[in-house]
Amino acid sequence: MPREAEPSANEKAFLLKALQDEQIRLDGREFDQYRPLELTFGEEYGVANVSLGKTKILAKASAEVTVPFADRPLDGIFTIATELSPMAAPHFEVNRPAETEVLLSRLLEKTVRRSGALDTESLCLVAGQKCWSVRVDVHVLSHDGNLTDAACFAVVAALRHFRKPDTSMENGVLTVYTPAEREPVPLGWLHSPFCVTWSFFGDEGETALLDADWMEEQVRVASVTISLNRHGEICQIAKLGGVPVEAVALLQCTSVALTKVKEFSTYLDGKLAEDAKRRDKGGFMAELRAENDRIVG
Amino acid sequence: MSTESPLVVLPGETIDPSLIPTHKKNPLRLGPGLRHIPPSEIVPTVAGQLVVDHRKTSMWIEYNGGRYIPSQGDLIIGQIARSATDFYYVSLSPYTPNATLPHLAFESATKKTRPQLASGELVYARVSLANRHMDPELECVNSSTGKADGLGPLKDGMVFDVSLGFARRLLMAKSREEGKVEVLEALGEEGLAFETAVGRNGKVWVCSESVKTVVVVGRALRETDEKGLGVEAQRKLVKKLVREMR
Repeated sequence: MPREAEPSANEKAFLLKALQDEQIRLDGREFDQYRPLELTFGEEYGVANVSLGKTKILAKASAEVTVPFADRPLDGIFTIATELSPMAAPHFEVNRPAETEVLLSRLLEKTVRRSGALDTESLCLVAGQKCWSVRVDVHVLSHDGNLTDAACFAVVAALRHFRKPDTSMENGVLTVYTPAEREPVPLGWLHSPFCVTWSFFGDEGETALLDADWMEEQVRVASVTISLNRHGEICQIAKLGGVPVEAVALLQCTSVALTKVKEFSTYLDGKLAEDAKRRDKGGFMAELRAENDRIVG
Repeated sequence: MSTESPLVVLPGETIDPSLIPTHKKNPLRLGPGLRHIPPSEIVPTVAGQLVVDHRKTSMWIEYNGGRYIPSQGDLIIGQIARSATDFYYVSLSPYTPNATLPHLAFESATKKTRPQLASGELVYARVSLANRHMDPELECVNSSTGKADGLGPLKDGMVFDVSLGFARRLLMAKSREEGKVEVLEALGEEGLAFETAVGRNGKVWVCSESVKTVVVVGRALRETDEKGLGVEAQRKLVKKLVREMR
């Protein structure tokens, strides 16, 4: 099992010196600036490709009909699977969850599942017998720091983009229509939570940065992940160990996080609208047209 | 000056015999990327540009690989992983076997006066032994003269990752004409004071009094490498970065 590559002593010392004495980051970003965020949707519904600088994540949402859990007959099943493989970075192993992987899946679980972003009651088909099981697979294609924020964005984008097949209940018979028979319908979505991760540096955690890349993550002394939606409703705040940070600083971090989440939300809405327009085939009237395409001579 | 034939070859292709330089007395020398299959076949093993030098009767392939493969005589920047009884274990690239650097392979080093290097420190060394079957070995001193020639531990500064092809171009004697790399000279002309060491394993160490200078040099190197800028574009990039810095 390869151990994670460690940056050299020179690099660590230089990074800290640049941050604390000169207040500059190595790639010239501001302390509260994210790397360029890009989102593309796949041809299929529910495939979201997110890249945050050199960190690239692919999330795929899918659904199938199964039996609901015995203790929750009126709810559907919703799972998020994150498995870090050597594709992300050579020191990850399949089937042997490293600390990063466990933390990532816990944060995504709390942010998206426990906050009720997806209405699981709307996934129920026949109480106690049939329900939808929605599953999101998160694949990390490249790891350059800040997997949490990028993964959460990808999961939310994939779920909002996803369409499940339409169903109908008649006389106790459940019919699931194929996409050719009836247009698939979107999931019952309540709110869009996003994660914002702050990293702290210095003996007392005085310097705070948003969106640390891999090198900065190796040198940081503490980190806080705040999950909230654009209405300011906080889903969770996770600070798992590390150097203690001033409470006032944490409150400031939360308010800046709200601004960033609003930006994410607007960006995601824009991308979804653009994708919908691209897929819109004009509806019934477009299908009934009998005109030939004009030939440009 | 080698004659450049802009011929791109793929592994396993046959090379046109008219391109192979011949000389009455000097035998043909094959450089990296070519393999000789007796009696008379020469086959490329990597994809790249075939370069032929008639004056030295040699031919080789210029290629930009991903993983560094140590070869004898290369100058590299390594990171000390740990120290054993008689030598240091030095990592040349992450997730590859470590190279060994003897404790006494430094200029005028004896058991009492040798440099004590801690784990994580950087050294500029030369590869003294490298073949497929053994872990590579390094030295920080020229074994015939006993002088260091600039090799040894690198203190302070910052190291940046670049691609292998770019590192090779930086190390060329005539980097401006043959390698088309002018970034470092242009940065010096703008008045920045810094020193660099280039490792063939894709690492460039930069040190300067001012932190901003190092950051600017690092960004200039990275962008030239990632975007494959030509000489003119490199000058423009340097001017832009220096202006932003001031």
